[in-house]
Amino acid sequence: MTVTPPAQTPEIEDTYSLRSTFYERAGGFFVPFAATVLAFFIGGLVVLITGHNPIEAYRAIFEGAGFNWPYQWLTGQDTTASGRDLQQTLRAATPLILAALAVAFSFRCGLFNIGGQGQYWVGFIFALLVGTHFEGMPRPLHVTLCIVAGILGGAFWGGIAGFLRATVGAHEVITTIMLNWIALYVGKWLFELDGPLQGAAPSLPRSEVIDDSAILWIIWNPYLHAGILIAIVVLFIYTLLLNRTTLGYEVRAVGFNPEAARYSGIGVRKNYFLALAISGAFAGLAGTVDLVGVKHAVDQSDFDTNFVAFTAIAVALLGRNTAVGIFFAGLLFAGLSVGTSSRNLDPEIFEPALATDLATMIQALVIFFVGADLLIVYIWRLRRHLHLRRTQPAEEPAPS
Amino acid sequence: MAEDAPVLELKGITKRFPGVVANDRVDFDLRRGEVHALLGENGAGKSTLMNVLYGLYRPDEGEILVKGKPITMSSPSDAIGVGVGMVHQHFMLIPVMTVAENIVLGVEPTREKLFLDQDAAEERVKQIARTFKFAIDPHARIENISVGQQQRVEILKALFRGADILILDEPTAVLTPQEALELFGILRTLTREGMSVIFISHKLHEVLEIADRVTVLRRGKKIETLPREGATQEALAKLMVGREVLLRVDKKPSEPGEPLLEVEDLQVLDERGLPAVRGVSFQVRAGEIVGIAGVDGNGQTELIDAITGLTKPQSGTIRVGGRDATRETARERLDEGIGHIPEDRQRRGLILDFTLAENVGLHDYRKEPYSRVGWLRPGRLIALARRLLKEFDVRGGNPKTLASALSGGNQQKVVIAREVERDPRVLVAGQPTRGLDVGAIEFVHRRLVDERDEGRAVLLMSLELEEIMSLSDRILVIFGGEIVGEYGPDVTEEELGVAMTGGRREAAA
Amino acid sequence: MIDRYRNFKTVASVGIVLGVAAFVLTLPPFTIRTTLVPIIFGLGALALGLAAISQGERRLGGFALAIGFLGTVGGLWALGVDQDTLEAVITGGLVASTLRFATPLAYAAMGGIFCERSGIVNIGLEGMMLMGAFFAVWGSIWSGSWVVGVLTAMIAGGLLALIHGVFSIHLRADQIVSGFAVNLLALGLTGYLYSSIYPDGTPTEKVDRVPSLEEAFGFLSWVPGADLSLLVWTMFLVVILSFVVLFKTPIGLRIRSVGEHPRAADTVGISVYGVRYAAVVTSGVLAALGGAFLSIGFTGRFAENMTSGRGYIALAAVIFGKWRPGWAFVATLLFGFGFALAIPLQREADISSNLISTLPYVLTLIAVAGIIGRSIPPAAVGRPYIKQ
Repeated sequence: MTVTPPAQTPEIEDTYSLRSTFYERAGGFFVPFAATVLAFFIGGLVVLITGHNPIEAYRAIFEGAGFNWPYQWLTGQDTTASGRDLQQTLRAATPLILAALAVAFSFRCGLFNIGGQGQYWVGFIFALLVGTHFEGMPRPLHVTLCIVAGILGGAFWGGIAGFLRATVGAHEVITTIMLNWIALYVGKWLFELDGPLQGAAPSLPRSEVIDDSAILWIIWNPYLHAGILIAIVVLFIYTLLLNRTTLGYEVRAVGFNPEAARYSGIGVRKNYFLALAISGAFAGLAGTVDLVGVKHAVDQSDFDTNFVAFTAIAVALLGRNTAVGIFFAGLLFAGLSVGTSSRNLDPEIFEPALATDLATMIQALVIFFVGADLLIVYIWRLRRHLHLRRTQPAEEPAPS
Repeated sequence: MAEDAPVLELKGITKRFPGVVANDRVDFDLRRGEVHALLGENGAGKSTLMNVLYGLYRPDEGEILVKGKPITMSSPSDAIGVGVGMVHQHFMLIPVMTVAENIVLGVEPTREKLFLDQDAAEERVKQIARTFKFAIDPHARIENISVGQQQRVEILKALFRGADILILDEPTAVLTPQEALELFGILRTLTREGMSVIFISHKLHEVLEIADRVTVLRRGKKIETLPREGATQEALAKLMVGREVLLRVDKKPSEPGEPLLEVEDLQVLDERGLPAVRGVSFQVRAGEIVGIAGVDGNGQTELIDAITGLTKPQSGTIRVGGRDATRETARERLDEGIGHIPEDRQRRGLILDFTLAENVGLHDYRKEPYSRVGWLRPGRLIALARRLLKEFDVRGGNPKTLASALSGGNQQKVVIAREVERDPRVLVAGQPTRGLDVGAIEFVHRRLVDERDEGRAVLLMSLELEEIMSLSDRILVIFGGEIVGEYGPDVTEEELGVAMTGGRREAAA
Repeated sequence: MIDRYRNFKTVASVGIVLGVAAFVLTLPPFTIRTTLVPIIFGLGALALGLAAISQGERRLGGFALAIGFLGTVGGLWALGVDQDTLEAVITGGLVASTLRFATPLAYAAMGGIFCERSGIVNIGLEGMMLMGAFFAVWGSIWSGSWVVGVLTAMIAGGLLALIHGVFSIHLRADQIVSGFAVNLLALGLTGYLYSSIYPDGTPTEKVDRVPSLEEAFGFLSWVPGADLSLLVWTMFLVVILSFVVLFKTPIGLRIRSVGEHPRAADTVGISVYGVRYAAVVTSGVLAALGGAFLSIGFTGRFAENMTSGRGYIALAAVIFGKWRPGWAFVATLLFGFGFALAIPLQREADISSNLISTLPYVLTLIAVAGIIGRSIPPAAVGRPYIKQ
């Protein structure tokens, strides 16, 4: 006769109370802030070790990102250069924010969606198809159709991973990464020489350019398109979706405690699928906005150089999966990326190629430190505060 | 039998955790060859004290003397080194490994210093089992042997390492009365061989049966140590709690109405696809409490899962309020008249990271007035929560507090409040008082009886026989997936115990 | 009753073998080109599969059915292909190629097994491999010796793994996030150092490459496959050693116990943290070894992000192989085959190289998706252990 052994001691992994008290106090802001500072500090050390001046380097990056624009504007200085830089930063922040939502939404459901890049591309390609046909449509309609197509494309790609997770329990980390690579190579194939979607120029591995009627409006000459507005609206949609709808309630419930959700009649698998599909939609939207806002076409080589959705993962983690956090984190990383690009960074101070890698390292460090919030807790020496507060519910972990 | 020189002494042990003093200057001594019971309710500090003795915790103050010599225990290895062995309440056994592997873990016999000598391990295990007259198969995997046998493996683990002081933490929590008797027999054999045993429990009758002396702890302090002669359950209970305790719930006799839950010939498979419930039929009528008694693992969990809709039965029917509910999903059943207080409130009953308001709405968030066409209305949930928290006297937070901040008893109140509020016709409660302190237990028991008096049908599943016997109007015993007996509330523990281990089938008294 | 059950498992297994044969026999070196072969063997597989299913052995029987069907289809398709093409694609070189591609995967997979068996999820294999790849080149150039290159790689991988260990064990961070950050860190760091130190690319002439077996030990040149790199041969050793250590030594027992029930291990005096740190560092060292092979054992150079997802594929191999060295190794062979097949296919078939490049990833996807019967990981994997 088989008898199940008694349940193992429920190890409350870390007393929830400990962490949540801390966040309630800090308003959920302290950890990301401290993590960023630490990351930049260590990045600065690396810069120092390889023989450069970190302060100069960081300042150059700051200015390259156009973050000095508000100061210049307020003090009446000439803002042309910094204005353009800021436009570029905002423009770069747009897909980051959208792709970060793709990661964040899944995180809320307890899933790690690393497939943003693949979902981005599939959305991009779907939107490209719509954008290169239907010439002459009124712009609002054409753009909307492109957006719809991109969302569907991304949702489809994310949905594959979601489906696999829901049905056979395939771990989404691996499936989404595989789907990334598949999307990448399929994309490269589509636009290669003699590829099925190769554009008009016979010797260029490039797609067709989308019609004028599918191009997004510019809201701040000459660089910034309406995408940033779309991103802000979508941030609202994200928050509302999670906190004000029954779907969001279920997603959060499953993310926090799938067992209890199941016991309550919530379909856990259904929500896994939906979370990944909706996440894919966000990422697909990111691709679409990039297409209709900036790129208007794609080169085969773009597939090798575009890492937007990976950076977006750091943005989501830093922003702690909240709309406000993601907005600011998106700005930060966009600034980092624009500020280190070869156009904006003075090579005398710091070589741009190095700077890009520096930015990547800083991203990684940020993720580390945000993930290790316990480390931040120790650093802040919170323990002394915690002694004063009754945090232990009756039967865990010490007593009896 | 017991010599007088103490083989173990704990002097002035104090252990503090954030916000609570688990042990407050506790003195304790153990004589050679005695069984010394450590009695107290949940949270009294019994396990903490023993964890200090076993080297899992460092005491903030106090000293430990083993055979007259002061020892500092900084890890279990130190404890094992001086002959102290511990059998934990939640077994420290690795399910996928064999008995032999579990026993030799950490002290593995080797060949040529590099390779694990499996045969030597099994030989030594067999040897030691023979010495103490245990019957055990070293080859068997832990997940395939019975709970009673697993406990014996734990004891062997300690003996294998040369323990002569054994600490048993709530050993009978998972045993039937018969298995408990067998355990007591083993303990007597061990003490005859010169072992000394510390027996942690909160079960009064057991303590009186096996212990030579009893030490009572309450809220971290030692209250008294008394010999078994002359001690009574009432006196011990009073020492444990500090006031008069009702050992049985006061309730009027039930007046059952029509059957609200009918189960017919139910067959359910377990996770591995093996039959767990084999043709169970019974009814629960309005205004009565039916208790299901049985040793863990005999199909109760699967039975409850099937009734609440979490698992689809292989065959059979389930009727709720006359309506055939067999094909319905969990959600539908919850909507159509079943309330479920799940076994593990933190894993299944609540979402600790949700607020109390969100938890209270766990079943009804999709319905009016809490949402409309998919759009949530949190204000309504908060209002509901506020009302329920007040009505059920839940302490520790307001509707916006996270559930994790509440104590176990208060968390359980929230779960009960939520279920009862939905006015179910059938209330299914699985182990509703697990891990709760006496005050909370009293509340839950009282509440279950109140719900019964309101005309609901209450199905109670519990591994605590006392609870079943105290609350139920009718008792069903489940064994091997079948109902093997139905009894009235006057049945004795012995009869139940016999039935629970497959003894004679008895018709209702 | 149990015996009868076991018999049908064998029946189904034979069916699987028949299904595989239905396809393989039409290929070189057998090249039996008659439709009878795929049809008969395929039918045999189907029949045995059905028989097994009817007697309750649904899992393996289902496998036999599926493989029987696929094998027949594959065999018939292969018959339609020109024999010369077949022989051009499937050569002895394919086997060697498969081994070469499988090697980095296998090293990383063994590392992954140790780590996960101790309870720590390691998504960071990719990053550790990348570190190994870069530092092997750097060490090789700097010292002129491939031995130093390999050692440097191992140290680098170990250090990176230590970071993951600290975050996962002492700081109790989310292990998946930490692993991902490890990859990102490795990507940025190796990219930065590469651009910084070798702005014009790796000076390949200065890289001392790992010798092949016969280059290192001339007297062994008669061994088949002696032209394979030394690191390929040591890979076999590592796989065998992994199995032996994990299942036949006390250390392995302790590692497994820590991964299944850390508190139980703790109560018998095993240092949970110590074991986990050792396991994580081991995984870093091994993954780095795989990366070292990739750079100084195979290509002779370093390129940014040259691991291209191999670390993740190794992880898939671990899961596919149910955390057992032998089966994980088989999985790496399968995935390595996916990479290896791409080369001749590109030459012979008229399909875009890009499309063909998706092959290993599609294969992995199918494998992960198709694990019929869930893979049960070590019970405590991914959950931080709190020592009180």
